[in-house]
Amino acid sequence: MGIGIVTATYIAASVLFILALGGLSNQEKAKRAVWYGIVGMALAVVATMFGPGVGGWSIILLIPLLGVGAFIGMVVAQRVEMTEMPQLVAALHSFVGLAAVFIGLNSDILGTHGLVGAEIAIHEVEVFLGVFIGAITFTGSIIAYGKLAGKIDGKALVLPFRHLLNIAAIIFSLILLLMYMNHSGSWTLYLMMIIAFALGAHLVAAIGGADMPVVVSMLNSYSGWAALPQAFY
Amino acid sequence: MRIGTPKEIFLGENRVAMTPESALQMQKLGYECFIEKGAGEAARFSDKDYKNAGVKVLNSAASLYKEVDIVAKVRPPEDIEIKRLKKGQTLISFFYPGQNTTLLEAANKKGAHIIAMDMVPRISRAQKMDALSSMANIAGYRSVMEAGNNFGRFFTGQVTAAGKVPPAKVLIVGAGVAGLAAIGAATSLGAMVYAFDVRPEVAEQIESMGAEFVFLDFEQEQSDGAETGGYAAPSSPEFREKQLAKFRELAPEMDIVITTALIPGRDAPKLWLEDMVSLQKPGSVVVDLAAERGGNCDLTVMDKKIVSENGVTIVGYTDFPSQMAAQSSTLYSTNIRHMMTDLTPDKDGKLKHDMKDDVIRGATASHKGKITFPPPPPKIAAIAAKAPVAPEPSAEELLALEALKLKKAGSQQTALLVFGGLLMLLIGAYAPSSFMQHFIVFVLSCFIGFQVIWNVSHSLHTPLMAITNAISGIIILGALLQIGSSGFIITILASISVLIAMINIVGGFMVTRRMLQMFQKS
Repeated sequence: MGIGIVTATYIAASVLFILALGGLSNQEKAKRAVWYGIVGMALAVVATMFGPGVGGWSIILLIPLLGVGAFIGMVVAQRVEMTEMPQLVAALHSFVGLAAVFIGLNSDILGTHGLVGAEIAIHEVEVFLGVFIGAITFTGSIIAYGKLAGKIDGKALVLPFRHLLNIAAIIFSLILLLMYMNHSGSWTLYLMMIIAFALGAHLVAAIGGADMPVVVSMLNSYSGWAALPQAFY
Repeated sequence: MRIGTPKEIFLGENRVAMTPESALQMQKLGYECFIEKGAGEAARFSDKDYKNAGVKVLNSAASLYKEVDIVAKVRPPEDIEIKRLKKGQTLISFFYPGQNTTLLEAANKKGAHIIAMDMVPRISRAQKMDALSSMANIAGYRSVMEAGNNFGRFFTGQVTAAGKVPPAKVLIVGAGVAGLAAIGAATSLGAMVYAFDVRPEVAEQIESMGAEFVFLDFEQEQSDGAETGGYAAPSSPEFREKQLAKFRELAPEMDIVITTALIPGRDAPKLWLEDMVSLQKPGSVVVDLAAERGGNCDLTVMDKKIVSENGVTIVGYTDFPSQMAAQSSTLYSTNIRHMMTDLTPDKDGKLKHDMKDDVIRGATASHKGKITFPPPPPKIAAIAAKAPVAPEPSAEELLALEALKLKKAGSQQTALLVFGGLLMLLIGAYAPSSFMQHFIVFVLSCFIGFQVIWNVSHSLHTPLMAITNAISGIIILGALLQIGSSGFIITILASISVLIAMINIVGGFMVTRRMLQMFQKS
């Protein structure tokens, strides 16, 4: 498949995603809307797999991976009780977060081949942001899952100076970002990842169990933001 | 402690203050339950049912009063029942301490604690034990049934091959609990229902039940019932004249009139006068729910059904709740059970008569040898006092206001757009062109996402969360592109990413579908 066809498929997939979200405006259309989403996703994945970006041999590796992932997803989604849905959604968010972290780390290892000038800086910010948001989403979702499932105490954890702690974590991450952009080495990225993991856990732990649904939808937004920087490559 | 219920000795009283179900709940509070033999017969609860629920059945009322610490009953006690009371025993029943002063003194002399179910204050916390409301609800429903029983036509309008049947017109006077229940019952039978009340704030409730509020064109400030605990207050003579004139106007049309107007501590106001009855069509029915307190209708005879000279049936029964004994016993016993729950905060079967509690204090008429009626006014008002209404702006002012708002919103939006545009230009000046392409997509998606999500219906917010979650699995594309790269670590990390992103995608979509299936009827 040429790059043109892949791009065309992406456009089709985007349209389908928009229809999928818009379809939720009423119950009857919603069932069709889910199918739009599924078809859009399938198009995007297949187009990427057979597109120019993926080498021939890696498909052999990919197909079992996709198969196993799909199987696990299906089994989990079918087994889970209706009342346990919120925690499942939270758990799924954590996967997106973790994937975003991994992809960001990979991009860092791959380096900035073929990019010039401002592109390099933008790329570095994107990688850094992707890992940052992904890491927050990952630990935040795990805590949210634990609270919703009753595995962690639902009470809000209130540390002394918690706002100061959060601000300090963010400022420190910003400093690390500047250092990363000045090519101090990948360790800045790893250190920031650990800080972001702690920050995500702390942010959600400070919120009571009853507010978890709001947190989950917020994390949902985060997981979208985490996916976003990756798209800018 | 032990709680027991005797058989009601008032003639024609079918209700009972304890049902097998309420007894089970009471036992959970730690009480031992007793009942007099045959006490539930009239309400269709057999002694066997009580025994199965773990209630001890005693042979006589005398032995019951001897055995128990708490007596729960429906009607105010008769003289013989007062005699049976012991010192320190608690009696829970309707008592009407305002009217029954001698009875209250006699019970007080015996040293019994009296909790009057009719004195439960009207605050939201006490609604679950408001027995007057639950009985009024039944009376309202039953009054419509009684009217239908005496009315020779359909409630609902019909068009049949044998001719057209107009719907019955029903007027409900007094839209308290009973009135609203009557409105509900009559509208669901298909009648055209009109309702009147002196408290203007109930107009909304009347309309929400499907009836039409009979509007009275009267200038004077009407009381909104806030200071009287949600009950009606007596109205001025001018208001009354206006009201009666309106009723006279309505009388010839109304097939069924149900009057429920009561003012606390007074005789029922006369609202449906003799001349209004004479204006009504023959075969019409008047049900007077205020009959016990003299009746709202001139012709009402308490506990009797009479037919006027021009053929209007006037029902003055006072035992509507008792006529539906199974239903009213269930509700009343639940009210009693909630009262007991409040009296037993520790759930240890020990009665704690907390006179600091607003609800318990309000309902207690006699405690530790002292008459505690009337209670101090409750600290919380039943209905929040109405805030003074600002003068309505005129149509012109409204228009001007609207225009001003629109202008303000418009200028705000323009400012925002200009600012956004400048920001874009700034980015465009420095960023490379490939970034700008992505940036266009990003900004457009932000807007599309906002517009699309805005229209999602509230009931679908949870599926929306699940499906957006599934879509955020699009991150898999990044992993797919990386997997082909050289380097062992990259391949491993990318593989894991592909795996978990796939779980997210498939799981997310499946979960969304399962949620949506819940919206299917069938």
